[in-house]
Amino acid sequence: MNSVAMTSSFPKRAPVRRSPFLRKAFPYFLVGPAVVYLLGITLYPGIYAIYRSLMTGKFKLDYVGLDNYRELLVDSVFWASLGNTMILGVITLLSEFVIALTLAALVYRDPWVKAWRILFLLPMLFMPSAVSFLWKLIFNDGRIISDLMSRIGFNFGTIDFMSSTSLARLVLVVTDVWQWTPFLFIIFVAALQGMDKEVEEAARLDGASWRRIFFNISLPMMRPVIAIGLVLRGIDIITMFAPVHIITQGSPGGNTETLSYFIYRTAFRSFEQGYASAASVLLLIATVFLAQTLVRRFFKSGVE
Amino acid sequence: MARKAEKGIWLRKITLSLWGFVCLLPILFFASIALRPRNEIISPVPIYFPTLTTETWAKIMEDWPLLTYFKNSVMAISGSVVICILLGVPAAYALARYKFKGREDIGFYILSTKMMAPAAVAIPIFVLFGKLHILDTVWALMLVYAAMNLSIVVWIIRSYMLDIPHEIEDAARTDGASDLRILWSIIVPMCMPGIITAAVIAAIFAMNEYLFTLIIASKNAYPLSVALANFSGGSDGIIYNAIALVSFMAFFPILLLVISIQNHLSRGLTMGAVKG
Repeated sequence: MNSVAMTSSFPKRAPVRRSPFLRKAFPYFLVGPAVVYLLGITLYPGIYAIYRSLMTGKFKLDYVGLDNYRELLVDSVFWASLGNTMILGVITLLSEFVIALTLAALVYRDPWVKAWRILFLLPMLFMPSAVSFLWKLIFNDGRIISDLMSRIGFNFGTIDFMSSTSLARLVLVVTDVWQWTPFLFIIFVAALQGMDKEVEEAARLDGASWRRIFFNISLPMMRPVIAIGLVLRGIDIITMFAPVHIITQGSPGGNTETLSYFIYRTAFRSFEQGYASAASVLLLIATVFLAQTLVRRFFKSGVE
Repeated sequence: MARKAEKGIWLRKITLSLWGFVCLLPILFFASIALRPRNEIISPVPIYFPTLTTETWAKIMEDWPLLTYFKNSVMAISGSVVICILLGVPAAYALARYKFKGREDIGFYILSTKMMAPAAVAIPIFVLFGKLHILDTVWALMLVYAAMNLSIVVWIIRSYMLDIPHEIEDAARTDGASDLRILWSIIVPMCMPGIITAAVIAAIFAMNEYLFTLIIASKNAYPLSVALANFSGGSDGIIYNAIALVSFMAFFPILLLVISIQNHLSRGLTMGAVKG
């Protein structure tokens, strides 16, 4: 219940009397500083990006109206980065989901579940930049994968994983899957452990196979958790930056560039901030829209 | 029937062990990189069992100020966590305990900032910090990390506050305690596990941050995450043993932090949505 109702019940000492205005404003005082701080990194940058996207030039800015947007919408590099972001995103998220769910289903009634959890968690505890260098070394610079493949009979010599689009994408996917599958795994295990054991036990006594129990009982009950996990992971994957910057830098020929990397490269390597801002604004609109719908939809059920 | 079950158990153990190797082998390999001499890192045929030595570390420490990088990381991260907690605890309290107009909208607005793509706001932040003359300082990193993690911190702490029964506050209120006093001496101590969880998760994400850090830090303020991207010296190529060494400098503190909150980890990672 709220504070107002309770102050009226027989106080031992006189309660702190506040004007009705102060009492109403109090929660806003509490939440205000945080909101102002966050507006600083959302509202201000949004407005500035819109302003900057209408300008061109590096030092002296000239107003060019919507020219940056017009140029962007016919820029094949921009569309390629968007397409690549989607392809990488779908493959990565799907792989992480399947692996994490399988592992979670295998592990959650295992007597060693705590040990497995710590072991599977380890990749997540390295910095993404470190993990990117690790896989860059394993795939390309250290020739480990080429060597291992030739040892088991697939001798292709030294493979340059940056030479073809699909191989370069594969490296990015492996890097992200290795590091972040634990994220979904941890969440799924917690959800499965939190479920009522008796329901499963009853189904088992009725002779249901574990497969049926998992797919017909456990999985449907996990649905809100799965949704939240996929939203959080999905947003991270769509904004993937460190592996692209460290491993591929967009090669070959910009085909592994993600939208984040496109903006970074345009703004901080080619110094076309107006043009990059136009892309930022589009990305901002997309994320605000996604965040509003997804967050409200999935967190409401999970949170209350 | 019993035989079938036994076969299932073995299949399960084997699958789990396989994934365990997938997790562990690259880490062991990385550790061996930190411990091997430079000429055994990149060779025509990969060396799987190198000579292990820590002698290279002295040279690495001489070439790069690793301790400064570490100090920068610690300062930026701990400062950002302090900001997050100071702003986050009152906000979480308001969202968890008061009924006020716009509460839902404010709560979801805060949460939605987590979904913001860093690249989308990188340029304005860069320009703003340039005007404030704080580019390439630890302060700038602190402010950005705090902004990035505030949403998570608010939602995690809010979730733990919702679990505290109202009766305790009501009793204190009857005794005449003010709202702020209730927050400080009842709510904060009772949701300490939530505050610690939030702090650890925020620290991990701050340690991992790469894009903003890359733009902001250019020499003096390098923290670990971006410092290692610069270990490539012209003809020497990428200096992988230094990278591996720095990676483990960040890994061990994070490992300790995570072990300390391991039972709260899933709840923290989902911002309180999954309990357990």
